[in-house]
Amino acid sequence: MVCLLISCCVVEKLLKGCWCWMLTAEKLVIGLGSPFLADDSVGLHVVRQLQTKGLPGVRFVESHAGGLLLLEEMEGAKQVIIVDAMQDEQHQPGEVLILGINGSSQNASCSHDCSLHQALNIGRTLSMELPADDAIHLVAVVAKDLTSFSQQLTPDVEAAVEPACKAVQRLFGF
Amino acid sequence: MTRRITIDPITRLEGHGKIEIFLDDAGEVSSAYFQIPELRGFESFCVGRPAEEMPGITNRICGVCPEAHHMAAAKAVDQAFGVTCLPAARRIRELIYHAFMVVDHTTHFYCLGGPDFIVGPDAPPEERNILGVIRKLGLDSGKKVIDCRKRNHELIKQLGGRGIHLCGALPGGWSVPVTKEQQAVFRLFAVENINFAQFSLKAFENLVLGNKTYYDLLFSDTYYHETHSMGSVNSQNSSSYYDGMIRVVDTKGRQIALYNPADYQQHIAERVEPWSYLKFPYLKQLGWHGFVDGQQSGIYMTTPLARLNVSDCLDTALAQAEFEKFYDCFDARGKGEGGRNRPVHYRLATHWARLIEVLHAAEKMLELLDHPEICDPHVRQSVEPGAGVGIASVEAPRGTLTHHYETDDHGILTRVNMIVGTTNNNAPISLSIMKAAKGLIHNGHFTQGILNQVEMAFRLYDPCCSCATHALGKSPLELNLRRQSDGVLVDQLLRC
Repeated sequence: MVCLLISCCVVEKLLKGCWCWMLTAEKLVIGLGSPFLADDSVGLHVVRQLQTKGLPGVRFVESHAGGLLLLEEMEGAKQVIIVDAMQDEQHQPGEVLILGINGSSQNASCSHDCSLHQALNIGRTLSMELPADDAIHLVAVVAKDLTSFSQQLTPDVEAAVEPACKAVQRLFGF
Repeated sequence: MTRRITIDPITRLEGHGKIEIFLDDAGEVSSAYFQIPELRGFESFCVGRPAEEMPGITNRICGVCPEAHHMAAAKAVDQAFGVTCLPAARRIRELIYHAFMVVDHTTHFYCLGGPDFIVGPDAPPEERNILGVIRKLGLDSGKKVIDCRKRNHELIKQLGGRGIHLCGALPGGWSVPVTKEQQAVFRLFAVENINFAQFSLKAFENLVLGNKTYYDLLFSDTYYHETHSMGSVNSQNSSSYYDGMIRVVDTKGRQIALYNPADYQQHIAERVEPWSYLKFPYLKQLGWHGFVDGQQSGIYMTTPLARLNVSDCLDTALAQAEFEKFYDCFDARGKGEGGRNRPVHYRLATHWARLIEVLHAAEKMLELLDHPEICDPHVRQSVEPGAGVGIASVEAPRGTLTHHYETDDHGILTRVNMIVGTTNNNAPISLSIMKAAKGLIHNGHFTQGILNQVEMAFRLYDPCCSCATHALGKSPLELNLRRQSDGVLVDQLLRC
């Protein structure tokens, strides 16, 4: 229990040092989805493909949950793009849509804590360093099958992976 | 004529759930059910796959407790392949697992269960959340919660390969060792966790124990059930999250079973009801007598409260002191069978037990990080896949989780079975909802606040329906209030 005698001040300084070497980048791409639910995994496919393109200053995250987890990932980033599958009968499977923060999907919520909106609200209340709302975008790929147990994308959605990558690159100005 | 209330989707749980409450002609509750309308499917999906993939597959069942599935799977694969995990790798698994317990319990208390106490059970739903908690406790508390989550996720990310669905487990080992630099940083994380746990326990003491309304709620008969308790213990009979023997104590505190998790089928049977996909496990030695509590019933719980009830002590100094304070508060220390603590059956005390576990897990992290060989680089070994049976348990935050695998000569899965914490708690959850509904709804009168208090009866279990049905998907909850006679919907709460 000797360690408990370390003053709070010292611990705080040391912890600040710790956070410094943890990976941060101004641009962040978050791929959302389950790898086992067919088109739900398209966000993960897009992130993996983008990682092969050698984009400078971009950090990539794969996630299956939203809410506070996304808040933690977003801290310190200036620009964030969330890539996710989307259900929308008004559009054809494979269409790529670019939406603002208000278009964030249900997957950006976590039923165990809160929605992405609430998470950002909490973060701002706590003065966390977060991107502005207009610096957060959702690149949504319209899905065909979100319920089958499969690690394969349906053909239309698979064909949308590269266009979705290009959409991300354009938003980042590459 | 009977009316029917449905709470669907139930808020602040993981996975889709539905509460159905039936009212008779006088407007009194005649019956209530907690239903899981999702279809399970993960087990059949896994058959035919190499067993060593299971830690990576099963952790996708849920976005909240992937670490529990990852570790249970790793341990079951070790057994199926007949290999003992290397000591350094086991310490890393335990370190990650305790960090996970800290962060998962913290999230539940501040985001899910705590708002009922800290903001108030009758407060408007839009205020009864983490933002309401921060407003009540102050901005500094919110920063503490976010920092707690962040540092423990960072540890999991660094050692587990990913922050959310970790990928570090290998048969008989772990992918990476702990470096000296990491040890120094993680040690500070553990200290901060201990400080945070003490802060949270103090907040609970001030806000709940120090408030007559909440104190009375804690001791309310509405949330009281006498069931048996189950949990994993080590050789000192202290609660043990990563590994241990399964101990069951009865409603009076007497040990009625102590077994290796591999023998679970000798002790547990599962009841199937036509109205839910989720089974109802019960103790074989006592049998199924319906949805009733008491000494003769086979119904048991596996929750943070149950884990305290099965423990004779907690094997860290600060947690032990809180453990004693807990049983003193209920005048139960040393008052059970054979001088054991008398089990606490006030279900809302589960929230308090959860915070004691945060402290216990944080202290265990420190112990592990102070182990002289925590940085031992020998964390991998060569393992030959083969035929075998692997059955392993961990204590998931919400209860005992068991993975059972059988493999062929090539290490391919031929059978998979999982019994998760929420499944173990399925029958007591139903009991609790029934009792709360009967105690709170009279003459057909109910309000949002009353229905929230019905939800509190099940929320204390921190249920995870995604895990329980092994289903993938969204997780809303609904509460339906219906007439018994014709099933007509009288009122409904829908929450996402």
